[in-house]
Amino acid sequence: MIRKFFLKESTAGVIFSMPFMVGFLAFMFVPMMISLYYAFCDFNILSDPVFSGLKNFKTMAGDDKFWKSLNVTMFYTIVSVPLKLAFALAVAMILMKSTKATGIYRAMYYLPSIIGGSVAVSILWKRIFATDGLLNSILKGLGFQTTIMWLGNKNLAIWTLILLTVWQFGSSMLIFLASLKQIPRSLYEASTVDGAGGCRQFISVTLPLLSPTIFFNLVMQMINGLLAFTQCYIITKGAPLDSTLFYMVYMYQQSFEFYNTGYGAAMAWVMLLLVAVVTAILFATRKFWVYDGGY
Amino acid sequence: MRRKIITLTLAVAMSMSLSGGLSAQAEEANMTVFWWGNQVRNERTQEILDMFAQENPGVTFDGQFADGTDYWTRLATLSAGGSIPDVIQMDYLYIEQYAANDLLLDLTPYIEDGTIDVSNVSDTILSTGEIDGKIYGLCNGINSPALMYNKTLLDEAGIEVPDYMTLDQFKDICREVYEKTGYKTSLTLGSSTSTAYLEYLLRSHGLQLYGDGAFGVNGAEDFEEFFELLEIGITEGWHVDPSVYVERQAASVEQDCLVYGSSPETMSWCAFYASNQLVAMQNAAPEGIEIGITTWPTDDPEASNYLKPSQFFCISADTEYPEIAAQLLNYITNSVECNNVLLGERGVPISSVVAESISDNLSEKEQEVVTYINDVITPMCSTINPPSPENASEVISLIDGLTEKVLYQEITPKEAAEQLYEEGNAILAS
Repeated sequence: MIRKFFLKESTAGVIFSMPFMVGFLAFMFVPMMISLYYAFCDFNILSDPVFSGLKNFKTMAGDDKFWKSLNVTMFYTIVSVPLKLAFALAVAMILMKSTKATGIYRAMYYLPSIIGGSVAVSILWKRIFATDGLLNSILKGLGFQTTIMWLGNKNLAIWTLILLTVWQFGSSMLIFLASLKQIPRSLYEASTVDGAGGCRQFISVTLPLLSPTIFFNLVMQMINGLLAFTQCYIITKGAPLDSTLFYMVYMYQQSFEFYNTGYGAAMAWVMLLLVAVVTAILFATRKFWVYDGGY
Repeated sequence: MRRKIITLTLAVAMSMSLSGGLSAQAEEANMTVFWWGNQVRNERTQEILDMFAQENPGVTFDGQFADGTDYWTRLATLSAGGSIPDVIQMDYLYIEQYAANDLLLDLTPYIEDGTIDVSNVSDTILSTGEIDGKIYGLCNGINSPALMYNKTLLDEAGIEVPDYMTLDQFKDICREVYEKTGYKTSLTLGSSTSTAYLEYLLRSHGLQLYGDGAFGVNGAEDFEEFFELLEIGITEGWHVDPSVYVERQAASVEQDCLVYGSSPETMSWCAFYASNQLVAMQNAAPEGIEIGITTWPTDDPEASNYLKPSQFFCISADTEYPEIAAQLLNYITNSVECNNVLLGERGVPISSVVAESISDNLSEKEQEVVTYINDVITPMCSTINPPSPENASEVISLIDGLTEKVLYQEITPKEAAEQLYEEGNAILAS
């Protein structure tokens, strides 16, 4: 009887998926449901939550800082993601040409992504762009007289964060590289015979066949962009004048610095919905530009 | 039969472990102590905990510390998780909030039965930890607002900084320093940030920042003086460019414009802090620079100045060992031995006897702080404002944001005052 139970295929399936299921339920699903409840509560983390209906969401609608942070995050995502993907694709194309050192190059270009989200890199970035930092020293060496306050200027600060994101193009690059290698050489040969040049080949052969990968990278990076936290928290904390205030950082401030944890939870759910909507829109546009056919 | 044996064994095992647990509780206490601070404080505090543990066999401590903002994040999450440390360092800004949520133990019974001896502590100091007639926190040092300044620089330029300077005197010094040395002035980002100075200026007009569920001022115009000072600094050019602040950690002594910067352009001749930070500031100063201490500028020093509990020690309402925790607080307050290690790093000891007996062991700067408190502030001060209301941290963030906007000249002082009055009142009312 017991033997039979253990030999059943479904049992094995259940047992092997247990570690994930338990982890998911205990550390994802349950906390998410609790946060959903908090989103409808007055909760200051120290005392018990009190149900307050839609109050948090109403406050949000009239909260200038909320809209400001949403704006900043959208701007950051919409600018940084295409730049990052373009950069990743360009590097991937270059690294396609194999020489002896290709392996080393690939590892080197991937490196920023491994250490990317970390606190250390953010601090490094802060030092590079500081008034007396590396970049200004280089500019001075090149003969520029004025020192630019990269982080203190409300129009420039966000660009330092965008640059940091673009610099961390490694994982997208690897994925591009893998799918570039899958494009059959014969297609390029055929197009050459038809008289297509490099540009034409890129537009008519590479891009269409790469479009599913571009789509995948786009979706993943969009989500990452909307949820960005570390860079902003370490480098600028939203300053100057909230021009770099990322949504997640504002949510963190509300939850743990102002002790408006209920409001923070509500913000988290709004972001979840936003991510879902953005992803849905991307999927809806899929049929217009993603080529799913065979070769 | 077999089942019975198992049940029996289990029962025996359980009762044994239970009684074991009980007897262990009487003899052994493992307590967590949590504080924020700096390297010096961490070492000294750990040392006095070890000393206390040695004198009281069976007691062990798990000393934990965190930095400024992280401290409050962690304390809040620990409280939410029901695992608040037994003894916690507490700030005047948060004590009401934690007491109101029943997270702190009422110390009054322990003071009454003599476990915590307060016979050498003045009532004014003791009452700073009092909320609704109950004492929730025992102040562990006295400090007061203090302006730190680059004495070496000003001596060289032949500029004298008097105690109790008025706003006009202060502005004149700012201008003079800028003209003669190129050094600017930084009015914000000190440990006390903009809010404390705004509060300080309001006091000179007999106003309190917080009232009941609203600001304690008569109208937006009361906030204007503070924002105007910032604007004058920016338009006249003697205030540091606010973009400098973005690169600095707020309230970090080491990164303050007073001691850190590559050129006079990004540095300040003074900084707004609390008196007990003089030692840390002197340590952070470059070789050969002496840091001086004086009062914050105000037109009415007596109304503005106050003695402040630098921080409190509180006991968790959930602690298993309230007695031992109370003894620890007594030790910190009254033991000369203990305070010979702490040496007033958290502020001047509150027990007059202790303060007296450690004075010989203080370093020159530590001594200077005591003199400042006793001779400059004490004769010329009034009672501190009541603890901040629950939503204060959000109001503080609002004030910092508006300060930034005025410094960037995005809005006028009048607009800033109006925005603060309107939005701040909305926060305080919620």
